Amino acid sequence: MSELILDDVSVSRGSGPVVSGVSLVVKPGSLLTLVGPNGAGKTSLLESISGIVSTSKGNMSLDGVPLGKLSRIKRSRLGLVHVEQGRTVFPSLTVQENLELTAKSPTGVDEALELFPELQKRRSSASGLLSGGEQQMVVLARAFAARPKYLLIDEMSLGLAPVVFLRLLPIIRHIADSGVGILMVEQFAQLALKIADEAIVVTGGRVTYGGPAEPLMTDPALLHRAYLGMAEV
Amino acid sequence: MLQGASAGLAAGGLYAVIAVCLTLMARLVRVVNFSQVAIGMFAAYLAVIFAEQHLPQWAATAAGVCVGAVVSGLIGWIIAQWLPEAGIGARSAVSVASLLLLVSLSFILFGSKPKTFKSLLPGPAFSMGNVVVTQVTVVMVALALAVAVGCHVLLTKSKIGTKLRALSERPTTAELLGVPAKGLSIAVWAGTGLISAAAVSIVAPTQTNDPISLSFIIVPASAAALLGGFRRLDLAVVGGLALGMLQGALAQFEQMSVLRYWVPFLIIVVFLLWAERKEVWDVAR
Ligand SMILES: Nc1ncnc2c1ncn2[C@@H]1O[C@H](COP(=O)(O)OP(=O)(O)O)[C@@H](O)[C@H]1O
Ligand SMILES: [Mg+2]
Repeated sequence: MSELILDDVSVSRGSGPVVSGVSLVVKPGSLLTLVGPNGAGKTSLLESISGIVSTSKGNMSLDGVPLGKLSRIKRSRLGLVHVEQGRTVFPSLTVQENLELTAKSPTGVDEALELFPELQKRRSSASGLLSGGEQQMVVLARAFAARPKYLLIDEMSLGLAPVVFLRLLPIIRHIADSGVGILMVEQFAQLALKIADEAIVVTGGRVTYGGPAEPLMTDPALLHRAYLGMAEV
Repeated sequence: MLQGASAGLAAGGLYAVIAVCLTLMARLVRVVNFSQVAIGMFAAYLAVIFAEQHLPQWAATAAGVCVGAVVSGLIGWIIAQWLPEAGIGARSAVSVASLLLLVSLSFILFGSKPKTFKSLLPGPAFSMGNVVVTQVTVVMVALALAVAVGCHVLLTKSKIGTKLRALSERPTTAELLGVPAKGLSIAVWAGTGLISAAAVSIVAPTQTNDPISLSFIIVPASAAALLGGFRRLDLAVVGGLALGMLQGALAQFEQMSVLRYWVPFLIIVVFLLWAERKEVWDVAR
């Protein structure tokens, strides 16, 4: 069973339940886009998969291994990489050092930089000094260098100019095509759905749509109903 | 006065080494380690006990230093285990508790009479004019410089240093990328414990030697670390050496010798006032 599976997962935070009974499957080589309004529980769901917060109910497994109470480190060793919200470079580390942290082989850094040739000349700059778009590229390249089996990406577009986001999307598709299973969270649905194989919509912590990405793009009314929690799942 | 400054340099070297350890701890494991000197004090006292068991002095000292490293690693393990996400305040509170525990443990294990430490490095190294420089002074200044340079190179030039810096900047992100946070922070605790135990063991014979006054060398050492903002190793070393020399020089004058205990306090107050002003200025901008 080589899949990342969430079965009826719920998460509670200080404020009460924020994710309620979410089930989904991420397959290797495919891209699942998760959209939903602000505060829907998207980030909390990703954090429960990578082990930042614990679940209050439900099961998760990665290629048949139950995630249960595994630590973040153990989950990362299973091949799970979580690209968090915000541009999480290590600011005082150079681009090279950021990538060396995760690179699995001596050529790993170079291979990751092939995704973003524009980073080549910034290799020895402190990553905190790069532009927002460049920092997000470093974060993606760093995740790619870790050779993940499954990649969780949270709101890559946040605070980026649309042209920069458009530059990143094909790279994410390319990473999926290389065999990585990707769960990508976005608040702004249209662009993110374009590269997706499948989509789910989460509102108020519940799944309100799950299925192919295509209908959501071609029928804005369906997306709208899902956002309001009125679409049939 | 020069003789005083030179005599103060040994203490200054100790302040500098401890200040470097405090800076590393604050940066890498988010703790202001109030027990930094107490760990060394405990190691130095243990060495006296070991030497009384007819161990050669160098072996007794080495054994004491090793126990110091283990004790420090143990405190680090407790914090990594129980307070991994806690703020710097709660984590530092554990180090205050450790300080009190080590001091009272010393009174229980070693009695309340001050011990006489045997010096590993007796006598003068050389003299310049009429200023005598002791071996302890030479070794301490060299140790302070070596520790600061060594730690800087380790942090900036090695794989493990990259991981430590990543961990200090974004602990959660580093862990998500597979950096073993717990193991590395325990290693930092054990490493700084080892360094401060070695430094205290070398200087202890020349300083006051009851557990409390020895442990409270943490105050001038913190003042030195504060000069570097708990971030810069070079300023911590310079601050420690300068403070030691200043205290040594002041001790030469009968009327001013009490003043030397005030110097660290003054530095701390002045620094805090200055930092406050700077913040006001930053906000005003
Ligand atoms: N650290 C936290 N502590 C308590 N409540 C939180 C925390 N983070 C998020 N929440 C709450 O959880 C809910 C879902 O937030 P989040 O998962 O960030 O949603 P999204 O990513 O979809 O915007 C929100 O109501 C938010 O207020
Ligand atoms: Mg979010």
